Amino acid sequence: MTDHVFKILVTGPFAAGKTSLIQSVSQTPVVSTDVVTSGDESEVKDATTVAMDFGTYSIEDDAIRLLIFGTPGQPRFRFMTNILKGDVDIVTFVVNAEARETHPSAGVELRSLLADLRVPAVVAVNRCDDQDEAEKIARSLGATDVARVIPCQLIDEDSGREVVIEILTTLLERMEDDDEADDDGDETAVADDNDAERELEAVTA
Amino acid sequence: MSVVEQTRAAAPSPFRPPPPPPGAVRPAPETPADVLDELTAVVTGAGGAILASVDGFAVASSSNMEDDAAHAAMLAAATGLARQLMTIGGGNELRQLVVDHDEGLLLLWPIGEHLVLAMVAERTVDQSRLRAFVRSRVALLTGARRS
Repeated sequence: MTDHVFKILVTGPFAAGKTSLIQSVSQTPVVSTDVVTSGDESEVKDATTVAMDFGTYSIEDDAIRLLIFGTPGQPRFRFMTNILKGDVDIVTFVVNAEARETHPSAGVELRSLLADLRVPAVVAVNRCDDQDEAEKIARSLGATDVARVIPCQLIDEDSGREVVIEILTTLLERMEDDDEADDDGDETAVADDNDAERELEAVTA
Repeated sequence: MSVVEQTRAAAPSPFRPPPPPPGAVRPAPETPADVLDELTAVVTGAGGAILASVDGFAVASSSNMEDDAAHAAMLAAATGLARQLMTIGGGNELRQLVVDHDEGLLLLWPIGEHLVLAMVAERTVDQSRLRAFVRSRVALLTGARRS
């Protein structure tokens, strides 16, 4: 039985590693809308997402299930981000540390996203192994109010799973904060959250 | 010559078609945009056409269509999603996507592997004729792949 279902939005600039993240962690076949690239973009990579990626990740016999929605990266597909970001529980912004030329526009996009965001955000800095370097890049993008900055190598499945664990941890922390803020909070719900956290600890141990 | 004979001589022969009105004869299309203009002009109920690459770039459009880069991106996204949606019914090849709305139809057809053609049309349009027309011009349209 599923106790918690979370919707995660994975977004960020073209060729940052969004599809790689979803493909590396999804436990169900990924719904992919990749097509062959053309023009200048074909010099960066052979295929690109034109509508969305979709994958799932569950722990503890499906007690917690993540529904992971990935957006296209190019500005011409921004309308898809606007569609997919509805009712998300957390936003994961992926940026490629080595593609410095994409950082200025990525910063504009991230700041715009954060401006009207009411849920936590994490920044996954792909092709980066160093926490300090990742945080420096995140700050340069304007990510001053994000829950976590995660250096990662998204061509590596284990690294992708680590990102998802960080996302889960952020979600559970937020749930705890929300419960503490609620003076009339339901003790049963808190207990459920604690159970969920213990399940997460068991998985990450 | 009597008046009746003069009238008959001036009247068009019932055995010969009347000459076409000026502008009715279309030159053979040479570019994808020509094909889209031709398609829009000769098929009753066809309102305009856009040719886009599957990765969301505008390739050509009929001259009556607004030049909006977002259109090509939306067509690519819709086609990409439709290719996934068809798997619900066990499909393997997307042939047509129809958007039926209060003002008419938007018909989308994949053109080869790299292009998608969208047609704005009235609900009464002869879709068989449209598809036949497009099939007859595929070679010219696919020659337009964005490089």
